[in-house]
Amino acid sequence: MSAAASTPPVTREAPLVRAEGLSKRYPVVGASGDRLSALGRLLLGRAPLREVEVLSGIDLSIHRGESLGIVGENGAGKSTLLKLITGTLTPSTGRVVSEARIGALLELGAGFHPEYSGRDNVRMAAAIHGLAGEALAAKLPEIEAFAEIGRYFDEPVKHYSSGMVVRLGFAVIAATRPDLLITDEVLAVGDERFQKKCIRWIDQYLAEGGTLLLVSHSTYHVQKLCRHAIWLKDGRIEAQGDAFDVTQRYQAWLEQREAGEREAGAAARGDYRVDAMDVAAEGLESPAGGTIRIALRASSRSGDRPHLLVGLSRIDGTAIFGTGTEIDGVPAWPMGDDGSYGAHLVLEDVRLQPGEYRLRAHAMDPEALRLFDTVEHTFRVGGASREFGLLRLPHRWEAP
Amino acid sequence: MRLASGPVLRELLAREWRERYQGSVLGVAWLGLLPLAQLAVLAFVFGTLLPARASSGALPYPMFLALGLFPWLLFANAVNRGVTAYLDNAGLIARVPLPPSLYVHARVLGSVIVDGAGLVLVLGVLVAFGLRFDAVGALAALCGVAVLAVAALALARIAALLQVFVRDLAALVGQLTGLGFFLAPVLYERSQLPAATAEALGWNPLVAPLEAIRHGLSGDGVLPWAALGMSALVAVVLLGLSLGVQRRAGRHIEDFL
Repeated sequence: MSAAASTPPVTREAPLVRAEGLSKRYPVVGASGDRLSALGRLLLGRAPLREVEVLSGIDLSIHRGESLGIVGENGAGKSTLLKLITGTLTPSTGRVVSEARIGALLELGAGFHPEYSGRDNVRMAAAIHGLAGEALAAKLPEIEAFAEIGRYFDEPVKHYSSGMVVRLGFAVIAATRPDLLITDEVLAVGDERFQKKCIRWIDQYLAEGGTLLLVSHSTYHVQKLCRHAIWLKDGRIEAQGDAFDVTQRYQAWLEQREAGEREAGAAARGDYRVDAMDVAAEGLESPAGGTIRIALRASSRSGDRPHLLVGLSRIDGTAIFGTGTEIDGVPAWPMGDDGSYGAHLVLEDVRLQPGEYRLRAHAMDPEALRLFDTVEHTFRVGGASREFGLLRLPHRWEAP
Repeated sequence: MRLASGPVLRELLAREWRERYQGSVLGVAWLGLLPLAQLAVLAFVFGTLLPARASSGALPYPMFLALGLFPWLLFANAVNRGVTAYLDNAGLIARVPLPPSLYVHARVLGSVIVDGAGLVLVLGVLVAFGLRFDAVGALAALCGVAVLAVAALALARIAALLQVFVRDLAALVGQLTGLGFFLAPVLYERSQLPAATAEALGWNPLVAPLEAIRHGLSGDGVLPWAALGMSALVAVVLLGLSLGVQRRAGRHIEDFL
């Protein structure tokens, strides 16, 4: 069972961290004189003349025991938001209210001085978390053991691999056990075994009432570790709520964008046309599968009977299924005297994974050689699933 | 976010300490060797090689010079080391949620501790060679050192912050402390100067603490308590100014590093 499902219920006490009207603008200091001008204006209590806004109007609360994922494209403002919450950045407007002891793994090697040994860096990182003296001495063996970097513990951090740096950083977090754990993609670095060890630790941390703020491009990690999620887009909150819903919406948007503009091309609006496509779907979110009914109406300028082709794909264009009247050996049926033809395609026992899909219908010439027209219909399958792939295949597990 | 500033400052100080002596053959022994070596050079140059003709009262000139030079070094080193504290720790400031001024404090405090220890060692040697002072003189010297340290902290805080915006400042501060060396009574006794010049130099707030230290520890000259009080006031005002500058321009320091 995932931590997201097994985490104790979130209590409705005062939030551990609260962000109100948070925005961040970075000064533009490319030109000579920009810095001096900014200094003068800051001393007068004014903002620098040239700024670029990276985050705007962020309101959020994180309660003890909650696990919140943040998704978004590169440049959406995720790291800036984490830094504002952590306190390494100062907001341009708004405020972050927090009494939490925050443990942050924000960037690779965050806070580690390359010239100092792992042990020295651990001492500093632990001191930041209030761990010093005898308490630190008692914890050092535990940190050393968790990091599993052997003799490198006493070597300068500049000699470490990126994976070793992450090991050291996470070992400190594990030992200091913060009220709120903030982490980003750093867990993607390093070997799989240590990643799993970290995920197990986070699972346990959450199960024991820990609080997590996670930035990840992996919807799998967000869905596994987080109950709630925020989708940041262009520095603003595009969606927030249940982790599955938010990540699916984000994924669908990504896939749609990546698919780009489909070429209607010369095939569009030619001699053979698809005049209408009506789609009716039912039961798609049921584990037993559902039905999709596609009613097509087509016509041709010459009055010749067109062939119809239907394709089902993910929103990113990954093909799932396609068939046509020519493939199945059925004609399109005449719909009257106006040269229009129709056909209904019924897809049964459809077990699609939650996500965004696209149906396309094409009109082809009577020889089914040339494609003339295309119409599209997109639809969404809701629900929560951590299974992989496009389809929910009927399956079961059996004892060996 | 709650932050344990005490342990962090201790760790930063420990780093300052290691940065100074890590990798050197003699290591921490330099803490004592360096001021003693400087004292020996002063004694040789101004006592034997170029016997100084400047008036130094009842004190031998090398002793007179030591009582001005080492306190001055305590001040100048603290300012010069502190001015680049933000830039030198830019990587940490952007990633670790610490009040940035801690980095300046650690630099200045580390420098003052090392140079203060050197000053005490030099005094021990001078006492062995006949220097005598009473409790009041020692108190005046202690107050002088405290004023120099507070002034150094205030100036380092301001300079370090301005250095983030105006990168030429570190070089300028180096030159200014060099100029300050000659505008303060380190090499000479102010009473040797023309009256107008001596009076003008009296406006330099670093003069009173230096004279308090030298006069207090040598028993030679009047203890400038009133001027020392004014210098202390200037140092406190500078410290207040540094807090104001920090509050305004230092709030977004990480954006400019």
